[in-house]
Amino acid sequence: MATPLRLAALLLVLVAAFASAARADLVVSRADRKVDLTSHIVRVLTSLKVENAGSEPVSKVLLAFPNIQAKNLAAIRAFGTEGKVKGLSSVLPIEVVEPSGVPPELTFFSASLHKPLQKGKILHLDVLTVFTHFLQPFPEEITQADSQLVVFQDSSHYLSPYPVKVQTLSIRLPGGRVESYTKYGNTKLVDSELKYGPYEDVPPFSYNPIIVHFENNNPFAVAKELIREIEISHWGNVQITEHYNIVHGGARLKGEFSRLDYQSRPYARGVSSFRHLIARLPARAHSIYYRDEIGNISTSHLWSDSKKTQLEIEPRFPLFGGWQTTFTIGYGLPLQDFVFSADGKRFLNITFGSPMEEILIEKLIVKVVLPEGSKDIDVSAPFPTNQWQEVKYSHLDIAGRPVLVLEKPDVIPEHNLHFQVYYKFNNISLLIEPMMLITGFFLLFVACIAYMHTDMSISKNSPSYLAKLQWDEVQATVQQIQGIFHQCLAVHDKLETSLHDLSRTGDAKSCKAARKAADAQFKELAKELKPLLLSVQSSPQSYQIWPKLDDLVAKERELQDKLMARHATVVDSVEKKQRGQDIENRISSQQQKIAALRQEVESLLEYLSEI
Amino acid sequence: MLVLAPAVCILSGIALSEAFNVLTRSMKFQRPISDDTLPTAGDSTPGSSSTATITTSTKNANIKKEKMGTISKERSSKKSRKETELVGSSPVRPEKEEKLCVLPSEASAMGILFLIMLCGLYVIHCVWAAAEAYSAPSIVLTSRSHDGLHVYDDFRESYAWLRHNTEVDDKVASWWDYGYQTTAMANRTVIVDNNTWNNTHIATVGTAMSSPEKGAWEIFNSLDVKYVLVVFGGLIGYPSDDINKFLWMVRIGGGEFPHIKEQDYLRDGNYRVDAQGTPTMLNCLMYKLCYYRFAETDGKGFDRARRYEIGRKHFKLTHFEEVFTTQHWMVRIYKLKPQKNRVRGKLKLKLKSSSKTSLMRKGAGKKNPWQ
Repeated sequence: MATPLRLAALLLVLVAAFASAARADLVVSRADRKVDLTSHIVRVLTSLKVENAGSEPVSKVLLAFPNIQAKNLAAIRAFGTEGKVKGLSSVLPIEVVEPSGVPPELTFFSASLHKPLQKGKILHLDVLTVFTHFLQPFPEEITQADSQLVVFQDSSHYLSPYPVKVQTLSIRLPGGRVESYTKYGNTKLVDSELKYGPYEDVPPFSYNPIIVHFENNNPFAVAKELIREIEISHWGNVQITEHYNIVHGGARLKGEFSRLDYQSRPYARGVSSFRHLIARLPARAHSIYYRDEIGNISTSHLWSDSKKTQLEIEPRFPLFGGWQTTFTIGYGLPLQDFVFSADGKRFLNITFGSPMEEILIEKLIVKVVLPEGSKDIDVSAPFPTNQWQEVKYSHLDIAGRPVLVLEKPDVIPEHNLHFQVYYKFNNISLLIEPMMLITGFFLLFVACIAYMHTDMSISKNSPSYLAKLQWDEVQATVQQIQGIFHQCLAVHDKLETSLHDLSRTGDAKSCKAARKAADAQFKELAKELKPLLLSVQSSPQSYQIWPKLDDLVAKERELQDKLMARHATVVDSVEKKQRGQDIENRISSQQQKIAALRQEVESLLEYLSEI
Repeated sequence: MLVLAPAVCILSGIALSEAFNVLTRSMKFQRPISDDTLPTAGDSTPGSSSTATITTSTKNANIKKEKMGTISKERSSKKSRKETELVGSSPVRPEKEEKLCVLPSEASAMGILFLIMLCGLYVIHCVWAAAEAYSAPSIVLTSRSHDGLHVYDDFRESYAWLRHNTEVDDKVASWWDYGYQTTAMANRTVIVDNNTWNNTHIATVGTAMSSPEKGAWEIFNSLDVKYVLVVFGGLIGYPSDDINKFLWMVRIGGGEFPHIKEQDYLRDGNYRVDAQGTPTMLNCLMYKLCYYRFAETDGKGFDRARRYEIGRKHFKLTHFEEVFTTQHWMVRIYKLKPQKNRVRGKLKLKLKSSSKTSLMRKGAGKKNPWQ
């Protein structure tokens, strides 16, 4: 490969050009590097013991990386402690610097110390650097029966602008076969750990390339693009939807895929493929769904407890090298865990990256959808991102919801820190949507009521309209007539009760008085009835019911007469002190007729009431 | 029979509401009222002035009570509907008043509770029927066994694989039953789909499936096909797979291309793929694509859908390459192998042909390759 040659050339150039231009003030007395190659994301932890050998206090420490490495650098963090004892370390801010007089093949970062390092003092500095796409699969295409071998290139000497007194390098391999590694003198491979060093008194900018070719079958899950949408609803829910496009980033599969071999001997065939992806969601996540463009995917498991929710998903097919798949995960979170208020503003505090474990995201787009009416939107993120704003129209939106979009390339799990979005939201604006719905329905109902009550007939002289008017009149009159008849019936009942009283008490006088009263009432009711009957008769619409009415009137009169007659006979017989049995015999025929007539009257009334 | 379903639903709804009416009225009339007029049978003696209203409502109750005695689902409610109309029109019904009977209130309370429970159970039954009997998509198969529910989502697995792991312009050849599904879910061009009217088209695919490997490869190559998809149910016992449909491929292909003869694929009029199968059958593309390395799953190649062991167990594919098989072997996808780059020169061809013939002679001395 061309790269080791290139690096060797670099080494020579650097040693030659910078032997003189080395920074003389800081000296690294001890540098221990631990490289973790167990996953496809390479993590290097460098522990430096920096001593100020110069005369002036130094407030910046420079860290150098060759450009090839710096291109793949996804995260760099530095922690510093002063003094000899390793105490509490504080995170130091890091920035890219371009010191003068350096070749373009190196990238420099400088860590700014909180307090300048005084002369003679020692600083313990821990630098964590994470590289992505750093393990090259070699060979690039493998069959199903092969295991995946990758190549790791680095330098056994720590590349630094300061001279290093003592340094070691320890590389942790994932176990399995180590195909080859560069041997320099006292290189040891013990228990999947490769140790280089210790090297003493190495000049600054020294670079000693090493190549390790080893087997790494851990899942190389790479998300080509992840779109993470966080939608805030002040009614109590934060809904997160994540769209993944996952590809296996290792050696590509060539040749055939045999399901038989994969199922019968999974550890020998398809050992570099992966089936499961684990996502750690925050606690109290609910309504979790997992689907793709075709439909729901049912191969997933969920475990939840009070601290976290763990979701294990299986894509529809196992992922071999070069295979890709897309899916969507969505879940809801309670609002009070993520949105808080401070100084009149509200802010959302939520993790930036994906909840999946050990996944490298080549392009991450986070969209924060704030409720309609949010103003003064502000973001504070722990690393630089591309930001812009969009508008999203959702249900019951008038102006749309403001969407804040953050974009970052090469996101790794170390980037899964919290970020905050500040915005102002008026509490009253929360009621806009319900008020809109209420007003809408209210207007609808008012319109319906108005429509029902307006008279939309085109002409007031149309015959059907007139007929309807007349029929209404007739109905009203009939109602009144009915009322009168009910009163008549009530009077009949009174008569009956008086008869009962008579049979009980034998008081004929009060009975007669009752009869007189009833008589008077009948006459009165008949008088009231007359004009009503006339009006009904005159109306042209009454042809249907007039015969019935007539019938009713006649029967009612008959009934009245019969009742009165019976009453009279009973009173007479009581006065004449006849026996009860004789009374009964005399009035029995009358009784039957009265009963029949009463039935007919009542049925006619019923009929009238039903029209 | 299904035509009667709406009528039955409506009538049973009416019957249920009438039953509720009767039961609630009997409860209502039996609760203690302030004035002491209990509507007893046939009593039309007047009481206080408010009896007028009570008697009219009693009459309504009476009508319904006499119907309640004969409640059976449909016919009585039909009859009762007719009777209400008659009763409404003709005002004379003195005799019906005599026959009413009021249910005791405990019985009607029990009756109401029972009907409510019945309606609840009905809702549960409807939900179960809709979930189990009416919601079986034929693309996701399920089966219940002693250790739970097995879901066979193989079709969607294969379509998702095609969608994501093949080029956009790649063409997929399969039997026309899967055409629309492939187009919609896998988003790839197919050769024939469910709505193809061109019989020659379908016959071409059928012929390709029925030909030996080389002939099939030629046909598919001329159609610019990259992937061939077959559905195989032998591992799990899925009965509607391509081997069971294969005879149709032969017939349709044979209808257009005379070199495909159906009799070649049948042994004594029977369609078999076991040791009794004809050599043409055991050598055709469909057989090979379905059963490629199938015998290695259990050593004997027992086909659970056909329920016998297959005839030809161990063979290699020369023109096709397996690129994907789903989890339960239901869908198998093969790729056409590209033609060899070098065509050997004439001299070498002669040598090759001579060596081939010697090999063939050797091969003839070996055992029957179909076993």
